[in-house]
Amino acid sequence: MSENGPIKGVFLGPADAPYDYDGGKLTHNLILFGRVCRALGMNVTPNRMMEVGRALAHIQLGRKQDFYYTLRSHLVNHPKEFDYFDEAFDIFWRRPSDGFTTLNLQSLGEERRKKKTQFLPPLESSPSENGAKADELDSSMIALVPTYSRKERLRHKDFAEMTAAELEMAKRVIAKMPESLGMRRTRRFESGKGRVINMRRLMKDMIRKNGDVTRLPTHRRKEKPRPVVLLCDISGSMERYTRVLLHFMHTLAGSLYQVESFVYSTDITRITRQIRQKNVDDALEDIGGTVLQWGGGTMTGECLHRFNWTWSRRVLGRGAVVMLITDGWDRGDIPLLHREMARLQLSCRRLIWLNPLLDVPEYEPLTRGAQALLPYVHDFLPITNLANLEAIVKALQNLASRPSAEVYRRRYLA
Amino acid sequence: MYNSVDELQAALNEQDYIAERGLSVTIYLALKTGKPLFLEGDAGVGKTEIAKVLSTALSTDLIRMQCYEGLDVNTAVYEWNYAGQILHMRLMEAARGHSRDNEGLAREAMESELFSERFLLKRPLLQAIEQSRDGKAPVLLIDELDRSDEEFEAFLLELLSDFQISIPELGTISATVPPVVVVTSNRTREIHDALKRRCLYYWIDYPHFHKELQIVERKAPDVPAMLARQITAFIQDMRSMELFKRPGIAETLDWTAALIALDQNELSLETVQDTLGVILKYQDDVEMLDPTTIQNMIDRAKVEAQRA
Repeated sequence: MSENGPIKGVFLGPADAPYDYDGGKLTHNLILFGRVCRALGMNVTPNRMMEVGRALAHIQLGRKQDFYYTLRSHLVNHPKEFDYFDEAFDIFWRRPSDGFTTLNLQSLGEERRKKKTQFLPPLESSPSENGAKADELDSSMIALVPTYSRKERLRHKDFAEMTAAELEMAKRVIAKMPESLGMRRTRRFESGKGRVINMRRLMKDMIRKNGDVTRLPTHRRKEKPRPVVLLCDISGSMERYTRVLLHFMHTLAGSLYQVESFVYSTDITRITRQIRQKNVDDALEDIGGTVLQWGGGTMTGECLHRFNWTWSRRVLGRGAVVMLITDGWDRGDIPLLHREMARLQLSCRRLIWLNPLLDVPEYEPLTRGAQALLPYVHDFLPITNLANLEAIVKALQNLASRPSAEVYRRRYLA
Repeated sequence: MYNSVDELQAALNEQDYIAERGLSVTIYLALKTGKPLFLEGDAGVGKTEIAKVLSTALSTDLIRMQCYEGLDVNTAVYEWNYAGQILHMRLMEAARGHSRDNEGLAREAMESELFSERFLLKRPLLQAIEQSRDGKAPVLLIDELDRSDEEFEAFLLELLSDFQISIPELGTISATVPPVVVVTSNRTREIHDALKRRCLYYWIDYPHFHKELQIVERKAPDVPAMLARQITAFIQDMRSMELFKRPGIAETLDWTAALIALDQNELSLETVQDTLGVILKYQDDVEMLDPTTIQNMIDRAKVEAQRA
């Protein structure tokens, strides 16, 4: 088998065809299929398609299952994409209906290629085209929209574009943003003053000095910013803050290291990818289109349960700091909320609660939800005006190191 | 080497590894095209086992590298034996006496002697590359890559594309035939796309009833037939519950062994309660299973076992 050059060995022709038969229509269709996959947001490169072609030389093409897995192992590398791939595969490589011969395959492929837009491009890869294309579709076409769960109902939320004044404020805020919400000692070493002797450097020194030890070079643990997880309440009671909070999350996601973002009300959605877009208007529009129940009731317990169950192991590693942004109004299961908060607290390094209702001077966290949250958070951030981004950032700047349980109890619960 | 997917599947089967078609195809292609195999799936579905079975089937060595945070070149590739080097340096000095002639020359000689293969400690990746160079390409298992950090991932990316390692003091060592690389991940964090792109990807799912039953019977030949069915049905039922950690095949097999050790012929409420710790490792999960729930699950499992 040749490693380079034309794809050989893909054999669909008659039995007496020469070995270097060019693969005929299969190669052609393979390439078209690659395009379909790419339109679905999979990372399909021409190089990858070449590899598929070569790999096909090793299997029995007659077995559809083998053919399927050969394609899948090359083109898909995320379980999330299996469904789209399967759907595309079934449609593209179905048995031709009666009257079709293999000769029609090429034209069929061409036809499909022209109809490529029947697959909606995924939201995260090309947000700007989305709206326009979605409008053109008629109901008979197949719409494949990647969302995190098919059960989620899409309800569009419009965010007004940023005004010039807001953009100006955003710039000021970014400049003041703390570089991290705490550092973590990693297990990796870097040279510098420390307590561990750097043997490699010592050896080099000794050779240079003819075997004498003149100093002990050391190295120390490298420090890295802690990952940050943002959990933001977008329920009805938080509605007037939602826009500015998303803006705030966007700023954090852009300036801190490893930020994972989630929004919740009756259900929780990960918006990490959407919010990471450079342009804040694009990000907000995208989130508005992807996310669920805007302004619904709050079921913090249920949402945290889902978070703990599906996401915590993925995003809370490496001593993450969790920032919970909510007013503490809750309509869900309170005992459940207690349990899930306890678990959340145990699985992160630090749990910070940002509460907007504090702008009422006589506010005390007395609601059932707030009472359930309070015993488990490490920091209770008093934000006098949540509509003002600068106030939030200021509070973050003043954030000392994590209080011990004892200090916390004295400060907030006494 | 195998000439068809069927042959490979049969070989795996002979080693008591029951692989579904998709996995066999992917492994076969990995062997044929020399690409690393990237396996993801929940804990205990047999990702690591694949590498072990593969090395037995191919009758080559298995070199295993367990990843963890902070894993660096010194532990993954090579390290110098510093204690040995210092000792040797002292010996060389003693032999040379106090003469100060040709100091520069002596230093060079010392350096080349101290940084020679004699004082090189070979870690898994170097071992794998060296064995491949010598024509005995081993199976290299890079286990739980998600536990390592980005720095190591970046290093691995480089290694997996050219299969060569350079040691500044010694030169470059490259593999003529690439080793069979199996990378596993539990998905506690997302592995970078660039690395995944170099590999063939396969997601190992929990097995369905018949496959799991087959595995149980194969791995525990002395289990009573009805018990094996009940165990499998019970575990399958359990996986549909909302547990923090669902039991994997490893747990099924452990539980089977436990029940055999207790001389059980069928599931009973008491034994299930007593042995729950073998299957469930989180207190929250154990609490979800009160006696009534367990009894219901046992009843369902018994019906299922009769029917299947």
